[in-house]
Amino acid sequence: MYHTGSFIKGQSLIYNLDPRVKLAAAICLSVFILWVKPLIAFVIGIALLFAALASGISLRTIGQAIKPLLFFIVLIFLVHALFNEGEALVSIPFFGISLSYAGLQQGFFVVWRFLCLIIAAVLLTLTTAPSQMIAAVKYFLRPLKLLRVPVDDIAVMIMLALRLMPILLTEKERVETAQKARGYNLRRSGFIIRIKAFLSLILTVLTGIFRRADELALAMEARNYQRGERTSLVELKLTSSDYLVLIFLGGGLVIFVALNSHFG
Amino acid sequence: MILLEDVYYKYEPERIEALRGVSLQIKEGEHLALIGPNGCGKTTLIRHLNALLLPASGKVTVGGYNTNDPRHQADIRTLVGMVFQNPDNQIVGMTVEEDVAFGPENLCLPTVEIKKRVAEALIRVDISDLACRNIENLSGGEKRLVAIAGVLAMRPRYIALDEPAAFLDPAATKRVLDIIDKLHSDGVGIIHITHNMAEAALTQRIVVMNEGRVYLDGTPREIFEKIGMLQKIGMQLPQITELLIKLKESGIPVHTDIVNMEDALEQIRSLAGKFKG
Repeated sequence: MYHTGSFIKGQSLIYNLDPRVKLAAAICLSVFILWVKPLIAFVIGIALLFAALASGISLRTIGQAIKPLLFFIVLIFLVHALFNEGEALVSIPFFGISLSYAGLQQGFFVVWRFLCLIIAAVLLTLTTAPSQMIAAVKYFLRPLKLLRVPVDDIAVMIMLALRLMPILLTEKERVETAQKARGYNLRRSGFIIRIKAFLSLILTVLTGIFRRADELALAMEARNYQRGERTSLVELKLTSSDYLVLIFLGGGLVIFVALNSHFG
Repeated sequence: MILLEDVYYKYEPERIEALRGVSLQIKEGEHLALIGPNGCGKTTLIRHLNALLLPASGKVTVGGYNTNDPRHQADIRTLVGMVFQNPDNQIVGMTVEEDVAFGPENLCLPTVEIKKRVAEALIRVDISDLACRNIENLSGGEKRLVAIAGVLAMRPRYIALDEPAAFLDPAATKRVLDIIDKLHSDGVGIIHITHNMAEAALTQRIVVMNEGRVYLDGTPREIFEKIGMLQKIGMQLPQITELLIKLKESGIPVHTDIVNMEDALEQIRSLAGKFKG
């Protein structure tokens, strides 16, 4: 199952790129997707999708990443489709709202941009080992050391957050199973009971996670962890393919900027 | 050498006295099993060995460094590695090599040295093939070996293991115990908490704890001879020793001071030879 911090070891151009290049590219593309005209965002999205498929990431995996956000995606689409002032295709009486062609088009492009961001994030996280990602983040945050920002500690915090994510999910499943094993049937329960069950689940999961976090802190201490400077297993090194990708990406962005102003 | 001198420790805020005057000497390269009923202070004791806990009174010295001296805590934690009971609560990295690298990264070693140590530690516990695997996709036994490798990458002189075979199936238990045995043969001192008497019988020395004190201390043979004292605190004998005692009680002339399978087999074979003769 896909979750933030998932990484699948593979061999492709994207896998072998320097994590700094991938992180910078993902951030630039994300900003660009939100800024450019819908048609150009559509083209970039298709290119991202191809890049993901070429890296061995299946549509199913992308679907798994989208699934938890499906409610918001549908909501965003409906808001744009129903509250647009374009010519009405269908009117809904009493509510004063109408479905318009312009609204549908706008909803589609907004959702498309959103999906592009998800694909970019999936592509980045699945092709980059967490340690490489952290090394890249640490590299970009390095100037903040001058302002006494604890960059090394931030990097460790990111690592722990990524580590605790699957533990949190496992803990949730464990508590849910324990509740079911004792005859808790939420499907047949009313709203209040469901809320109570949810609160009890949250409290139990949080208690478990805090206990684990305590133990983890102790284990880190036992392995000589102290706040401040640390070295890293990851060696950041730009290769010729990194430079090629940077040139290709830079060129692509210039072309898209030109096209964007042309269509504008 | 690790030296504990009249160590007392209380857990706050309940003020539960977990250690009550423990004195112990652990030599380099020794394989020691720490046994005793639940809540007798075993885990508290091993947490004193790498300065995770500091004695309320008394003194713990590791390789000549006093654990109370904050200047030497890093040295002490490098000398004594700690493997926790639940590897899920010990593993920090997302992949095997990332986790094994955590200790050397904390020692601020250069990348080349970190890579060397990670590779070396993975070879020592025979999991080099798992280097790039995601921790979440490993079995319980494999996670236990990752936790041991993570400690080995710091090149400790002693490793303290809190029930390393807990919750493992027989095959995984054997794999973990074989690795521990191999580390001991390589000269690493092992301090090993266990509830399994057969496991304890394979070590050089057993320390039995009870109510925060050292109750018995000796070789497996010496310890398992004191049946009455063990039974008094709810401890059992290794199954093989129990079998021999029952054989003796039924009139078969066997020695009962045997604690492992090999010695027992030898005795049964010689007995069978006598009957044939």
